[in-house]
Amino acid sequence: MPTLRRILNLFTRDRIDRDIDAELQAHLDLRADDNLAAGMTPEQARRDARLRFGNPVVLRERTFGADAAPGLERLAADLRYALRRLRKSPLFATITILTLALGIGATTAVFSAMNAVLLRRLPVPDPQQLVYLMVPDGQPYGASNTGDSDSSFSVPVFAALRQDRRAFSDLMAFAPLSTDKVDVRTGNDLPEQASGEMVSGNYFSGLGVSMARGRAFTMADENQHAAFAILNYSYWTRRFSRDPSILGQTLFIKGIPFTIIGIASENFPGVEPGSVTDFWIPLQRRVELNPWGNGPDASLYGSPDWWCLRLIARLVPGVTPQQAVAELTPAFRAAAFADLQSSQAEQDKLKLVLASARGLQGIGDYDPDPIRILMALVALVLLIACSNVAMLIVARNASRQRDFSLRMALGAQRSSLLRQLFAESGLLVAAGASLGWLFALAATRALATWFRVETGLAPDRGVLLFTTTISILAALVFGLAPLRTATRAPVTGTLRSTSGTSSHGGRSGAVVLTLQVALCFTLLTAAGLLLRTLLNYERTNLGMRMEGLLVFGITPQQPYSSKERLAFYGDLLDRLQALPGVESATMMVDRLGSGWSENDSPTLDGVTHTWEEIPLRANVVGPHYLHTLGVPLLAGRDILDSDTPTSPRVAIVNQTFVRKLLPNTNPLGHRLGKLDDPKAPPFTIIGVAKDSKYRSVDERPRAMAYYPVTQMGDAPATMQIELRVHGDPLALLPTVVQAVRVIDANLPLEKPMTQAAVFEDSFSDQRLFARLSLFFGLLAALLVAIGLYGMLSYRISRRTTEIGVRMALGARRRQILAMVLREAVRITAIGIAIGVPLALLASHFMGSMLFGLEPTDKPALFAALLGILAVGLAAGYIPAHRAASIDPMRALRSE
Amino acid sequence: MARNDLQGSLDLLVLKTLSQRGQLHGYGIVLHIQRASDELLQVEEGSLYPALHRMEQSRWVASEWSLTETGRRAKYYRLTAAGRRELEAAECSFEQLVKGVRAILRYA
Repeated sequence: MPTLRRILNLFTRDRIDRDIDAELQAHLDLRADDNLAAGMTPEQARRDARLRFGNPVVLRERTFGADAAPGLERLAADLRYALRRLRKSPLFATITILTLALGIGATTAVFSAMNAVLLRRLPVPDPQQLVYLMVPDGQPYGASNTGDSDSSFSVPVFAALRQDRRAFSDLMAFAPLSTDKVDVRTGNDLPEQASGEMVSGNYFSGLGVSMARGRAFTMADENQHAAFAILNYSYWTRRFSRDPSILGQTLFIKGIPFTIIGIASENFPGVEPGSVTDFWIPLQRRVELNPWGNGPDASLYGSPDWWCLRLIARLVPGVTPQQAVAELTPAFRAAAFADLQSSQAEQDKLKLVLASARGLQGIGDYDPDPIRILMALVALVLLIACSNVAMLIVARNASRQRDFSLRMALGAQRSSLLRQLFAESGLLVAAGASLGWLFALAATRALATWFRVETGLAPDRGVLLFTTTISILAALVFGLAPLRTATRAPVTGTLRSTSGTSSHGGRSGAVVLTLQVALCFTLLTAAGLLLRTLLNYERTNLGMRMEGLLVFGITPQQPYSSKERLAFYGDLLDRLQALPGVESATMMVDRLGSGWSENDSPTLDGVTHTWEEIPLRANVVGPHYLHTLGVPLLAGRDILDSDTPTSPRVAIVNQTFVRKLLPNTNPLGHRLGKLDDPKAPPFTIIGVAKDSKYRSVDERPRAMAYYPVTQMGDAPATMQIELRVHGDPLALLPTVVQAVRVIDANLPLEKPMTQAAVFEDSFSDQRLFARLSLFFGLLAALLVAIGLYGMLSYRISRRTTEIGVRMALGARRRQILAMVLREAVRITAIGIAIGVPLALLASHFMGSMLFGLEPTDKPALFAALLGILAVGLAAGYIPAHRAASIDPMRALRSE
Repeated sequence: MARNDLQGSLDLLVLKTLSQRGQLHGYGIVLHIQRASDELLQVEEGSLYPALHRMEQSRWVASEWSLTETGRRAKYYRLTAAGRRELEAAECSFEQLVKGVRAILRYA
């Protein structure tokens, strides 16, 4: 059908109508002429012609319907009418639209986060073919790894697997230059920090990423370890304002010159889940550019036992991940154990797994559970919001029943009434959904910041589809819900009755409200549990004095020998210690509260315990460590300046170490060996420290050893400097920067912050979850209160006469008050009865998100109980009070 | 065939009429179908005009105003090329229908 022409015909209706009229009249005249010729009287002739013809108005309408698309015209009229009606009740419209906006907006925002975390694929061609390679059980015994042990591979493994052509069409390797960022500069600019990766030559071609400018890496670049760099489009934009002349210029990475040869295509963030890579270089084997920022020790890129590469592969079309694993496992195991002593059983245990490259959970440690639980919680909020709006619409239409009946009595068609109801709910939902979308855009920006997802959580087309779907569903439900009451209206019955006393509409309302109370109770319980979890995080004793601790990282510029680096750190500590306001200074390799740690299997007095038996955490620290951090010393002494590379090797252990390995004996003097250096002389235990938190707030106490940095053989490339200061630690920062500049003007302080802030950041996710769930809980409570209040008010408005009669017959105001409140309390009580098992079920699923409390935590349940009771009573009191203050005379007269 | 059963085949009848008679107005189409079918088929006049206008929107027929033999102004319809193709298709499917119905009626 030529739809466009039919729509255009709408605008020339008059002309078309005249045309049709003339045509139909011609027909009548021709018939009448024939009738006359057949011998009828003129009057008979015309009458016969009209009788045969039927109703001319209907015929004209139907003919016009063939010429134009009058449905659209009707739609426009319906929308105009709906708009007019809504404008007449602005409060109803505002509440409905806001409720929907909050419900749809919150759901869209959380779904958008879930989409990014769990579902979204890389922005490259055929992303479903991409898989990350994983070793879930970690590296073979004896190999050293990166800390992300389940996603690292050695160079021989990479070389062996890329030979394969049957499972993978391409296998790409990538490794970050540092666990964080590295110093870069162009020309004579000041150095700044950027995140970079070294990648295999087929990285861009294998992923299918095109270049916005310049060229991609080639296999020749990889083989020659060429000094070329490719910039991320967003880095190029942010840092160089898309200056095309940047191609061919030199980018100094850690002071080493690289030529910029290309800009990757827009929107390609790199393949590190959740973070953006600023630049890429081909795989290097220079000491200074050892992947993961490791110091120039023995485990360079190229050494077979350094599992430092991450791998991403493109599957041959039609090959499943399972088939690929079966195909590759023999070659993988052979390469993995080529240079290691191992048993057959050990080899059989090493498993290769292919994880679909979607969302953020591919590699790294994004836990999908919290976002799923949030999604479930927000879905409950949406359910409450929608049922509230449905009730509002039903109530509103019930009060319009007389209007509907009247119109039907006057000949309006049922279908036209329905169309109007749909137009109204459609308008409401469209407005609510649009507002909700804006709300979600803002919310996802905040969520991305809070989750520290640099790639963003902004809604994409999938999310838009999701929102549109739930909105259309909502519109259908809201359009259909009132049908029962609206169109089954018995014309005569409703018209005859005056302000009716029927209560049938109320029963389904009460059921919906009861369920809302149950859902709201569940949400409040979840919020209570997560809030108490947050409190537990904040109140946990970390085992050290947190006030006045400042921490920052420092990486001496290459080339410094190990000895020179040690001297550098010693000199730096001396200078810092001398600053006014600094009480004492120390350093460590792994920053407390950052999630990083050294892990080892302890060898005590010559006996080696496995990691499964006694997992030993370790940190390499500077002098006066315990003193500076305020960790109590239980026996022996702290590490001192007198512990030098040449003095006897010493170590401090913690309480848990003593309890597990040296109970009922004096721990001092025992000898502790390091597994990764078994030939070196062991460390003598010279002190016992109280347990303190290392990686995170929620860790359980673990056996722990502290070794002096001076006695580690090779000085670390980066140290975390910790200062104990008087007053506000951050206020001292400028002074510290000045002091560092005296040693090296080019040296930035890495992530300077208070030690307290590091630990607080370590549970920022939990803080976010607690806040979000509290927000959802309060939103639900508000919605339930509105619903309850609305329903009770509505009922009282319909029972004014009855209450007037009761009062006239001697009922007291207090009895009326109690009567209405009883209704509210009954709904709340039944709601809670349904809500308790629901809440227990929900909290059971939240077990992994809780810290320091059981899922059946009584204070949380009790708080939720009090909260929902307060909501019920508050929402009931206002209408109850109004009912109790009805003037019986006026109520009776109003009839 | 009773009046109501004409619905589905009205398009076919109109198209065929126009192909046999060239230009014709609505009333003429009614008369022709009545005569040609020996009074067996009567077009419901209320259905004819919506059908004609629908076919015009689909460009199967074209129309113009012209004078009748008795000097009245009437709207004349004629078949277009697209209408001729449509007629062939409709005739073909109608033959199929008749064949099928007949086969069922004769099934012993």
